[in-house]
Amino acid sequence: MAKEKEDSSLSRRRFLELILSTSAGLAFFPKTGFLTTKGRHQTARKVLVLGLDGLDPVLTAELMKDNRLPNFKKLAAAGSFLPLGSSVPPQSPVAWANFITGTDPGGHAIFDFVHRDPKNYMPIFSASESLPGKHEIKLGDLILPLSGGKINNLRRGRAFWQILEDYDIPATVFKIPSNYPPVESRQKTFSGMGTPDLKGYYGLFNFYTNEYKTITEEYGGGGRVHDVFVIGNRVESRIPGPNNPFKKGNPETFVDFKVFIDPVHPVAKIAYQDQEFILKEKEWSGWKKIKFDFIPGQGVSGICLFYLKEVRPKFKLYVSPINIDPADPALPLSTPDSYSRELAKKFGPFFTKGLPADTAALENEVLDENEFLAQDELVYKESVAILEAELKNFESGLLFYYFSNTDQRQHMFYRFLDKDHPAYEEKLAAEFSPVIPRTYEEMDKVLQMCLEKIDSQTTVIVMSDHGFNPFRWGFNLNTWLLQNGYHYLLPGTRPEEVTLFEQTDWSRTKAYGVGLNALYLNLKGRESQGIVQPIEREILTRQLANQLEQLADPRTGEKVILKAYISREVYHGPFVDLAPDIILGFNRNYRISWNSPLGNFPRQLIEDNGQKWSGDHMSSPAVIPGSLISNLPVKLADPALQDVTAGILSLFGIKIPPEVTGRPIF
Amino acid sequence: MWWLNQAVGLVVKIFLLPFTGLNPWAGMIFISLVTAILMLFIYKKTSNQHGIKEAKNLIKGYLLEIRLFQNDFGVFLGGLKRLFAANLRYLANNLKPLLVMIAPIFLLLAQMNLWFGYQVPQRGETLLLKVEFNQSVEVDRLDLEVEAPPGVIVDSPPVRIIDENEVDWRLKIVDLQGGQLVIKNGGEKYAKDISLPLTRLARLSTIRVSQNIWEQLLNPGEKPLPREAEIKKIEVVYPSARLNLFGLKIHWLVAYFVLSIIFGFGLKGWFKVEI
Repeated sequence: MAKEKEDSSLSRRRFLELILSTSAGLAFFPKTGFLTTKGRHQTARKVLVLGLDGLDPVLTAELMKDNRLPNFKKLAAAGSFLPLGSSVPPQSPVAWANFITGTDPGGHAIFDFVHRDPKNYMPIFSASESLPGKHEIKLGDLILPLSGGKINNLRRGRAFWQILEDYDIPATVFKIPSNYPPVESRQKTFSGMGTPDLKGYYGLFNFYTNEYKTITEEYGGGGRVHDVFVIGNRVESRIPGPNNPFKKGNPETFVDFKVFIDPVHPVAKIAYQDQEFILKEKEWSGWKKIKFDFIPGQGVSGICLFYLKEVRPKFKLYVSPINIDPADPALPLSTPDSYSRELAKKFGPFFTKGLPADTAALENEVLDENEFLAQDELVYKESVAILEAELKNFESGLLFYYFSNTDQRQHMFYRFLDKDHPAYEEKLAAEFSPVIPRTYEEMDKVLQMCLEKIDSQTTVIVMSDHGFNPFRWGFNLNTWLLQNGYHYLLPGTRPEEVTLFEQTDWSRTKAYGVGLNALYLNLKGRESQGIVQPIEREILTRQLANQLEQLADPRTGEKVILKAYISREVYHGPFVDLAPDIILGFNRNYRISWNSPLGNFPRQLIEDNGQKWSGDHMSSPAVIPGSLISNLPVKLADPALQDVTAGILSLFGIKIPPEVTGRPIF
Repeated sequence: MWWLNQAVGLVVKIFLLPFTGLNPWAGMIFISLVTAILMLFIYKKTSNQHGIKEAKNLIKGYLLEIRLFQNDFGVFLGGLKRLFAANLRYLANNLKPLLVMIAPIFLLLAQMNLWFGYQVPQRGETLLLKVEFNQSVEVDRLDLEVEAPPGVIVDSPPVRIIDENEVDWRLKIVDLQGGQLVIKNGGEKYAKDISLPLTRLARLSTIRVSQNIWEQLLNPGEKPLPREAEIKKIEVVYPSARLNLFGLKIHWLVAYFVLSIIFGFGLKGWFKVEI
């Protein structure tokens, strides 16, 4: 029987428990009924938007020049190809929320992947919150919920497809980030980035091995190693599932499984529940259903992939994060509810987790580069198949379709394009440096398929939320605040041992960093133990911004932070007060470190990033704009994400609502 | 046993043959109707119709007594006792037809499972082939080979599970032709049907079993393995099938019982049967 390894950090575990405890009630989220559509307006014009996450305009231009992206080139020749201004900060949830609402974060309240709770300074996910049911009956260890829980999408502002709906213009929006759970609409929408796995994480894989290995259960995801023993060519272990909302303390559920290994051949049979299948070494299983029971008659089902990495001399089995089953979703995935089931019926199981490719498995060397690419190729093929079907159904209105491959592969393979990257390996680079250009070529093929299937009335927009740049060095914001007298720890504390601000002396602390680009003042009246008087706020903010902008890396002489944005100056709208006080716009090659966002204080101010996650986009938006390519000429010289929204509305002849701050691009 | 399974199988096949090209519900409705009529007939002939009618009248009477005298505890308790006795009498009257019907019903259900329990795999799908050996056989020492018919390929080396006396292979369907798998164990050869028909309703035999009577009753699809065979069971694990009722997936057995009961009660008046 497997014995789970202890997590590397108790504090981290506690943090995970805090943020994920609400996932226990996932079986009871009330489903919205099928929303009947009114008679749909047949639009003369159609708009197809391909959202290619992280498509970098510089690399795109280079590849177009080399004739490697003929369809991009064709599209640009018919209209425009321009850099597309990203959000502040240029993180995907923020940037896509800009596009969804046509505003900046002041209008949609998504400021970072991670926000903080001003009551306890703890990091919280910015995109959604899960609330358990309010009423329940307790019978010994048994809990009987009397009301369903709730999941709230924390993005504010109206989505552009809701505005289109007001005008009866049909829209299909597939996997756009920052739309989990999907906002109520009669349009066909499927949630994207931000959609958790069945455990409520952003992706938690399981790895079963008899080799010593440690993996960090990270920040809402990562993986778990299960020590297993091969006894008589048999392995027995269990797959962890969601927490049981029917049991006191919400313990984790499990599904037991067995692996039978052939005594000679590198092949094994895996058996659990009513599933039995054979895998050869280095083989993926395809999607397998798995059901976690809470009490008799109540449970949730998910889907996962098995990968038999090695049979001998060491046993290694990877099980992907358990995705929500689109055929029987335990959590809301689509509007209407039936859309998810329709897709599952037509295409079988498919990735539903927000960011599908398992970057954490590659990072932790559970999957190697080729194995990661094989998994991401499955994501790509599923996406292409569904897009092809949606294009056939695309008769009117708008179709938005999202691809994650560009983003995920650039994050993990940028080290092979950048010889100065601390994680650059020449031998591997020879094999994997073509991955990113090849991914762009795959996107060109997607565009080719679209161009072949659309008619002359269709406006095509290819867009990305941001570009990419190397992530060579990580900046420890909280260490800087500590060194410069803005943050204080309790006497006798060793800073490098602190996590989640556990030893912070809030009675002396003026500022702290939580999230990937955010800096908050410890403001009186806002933070629970705030000390900065509102009257001091302006001066302190400017002082911090100036100091941060002056900060140079002693090793390179380069500025670490190109621009420290004061949120009240760059954001507009009703939610500016919820924003961090300063947004860090990093210089090229720099980003926040791995430890700082969770309230840690590593010794070094600037660290080498030796990880495989080697490309990123936490910079100033000026450094990494997104891409905009359209077959209609763009009239703006410096378009930004929210301008595309205004442009789409104007194409359909809709008067731009006052809350949409973008300018029409067409 | 095999001849009996063959005879019942032939009857079921004759009944279902016209429905193979239609939605499986058509065959299910028809066979439920036919068996409901048949059961009504057997019930009428084998049960004490007069006794059943009398027992039912008594039950009705005692129920009325309980209702009317619910404030008189003594009468109420007496009524309950008499109601219980009348129920026993009703059940006793049902025992004979039940005993007569249980064997044909069992044989019928085992045959119906071959038609409604599994679905034909798609091209490109994989199936598991499981071969179970007798306890005395050491599976890791066997010289095994599987010969697949055209359209089916053996897609993996064998997985020998020593402590379960089992050897498994993965089969891949590349074309829906079907035929016979041949498992070679040294000089011995054992065949197993692998049907891959294109019809919407099809008879699929998943297991070929040994001479054990109980196993044969449960798995009537193929002639049992020879008595001297070292193999106990050969199974091709087809995907299980469900009947689709407006998106609701229903097990065939549930559908069959519900439909038979509906037809039975609906037709009892026509056949003048007291149930």
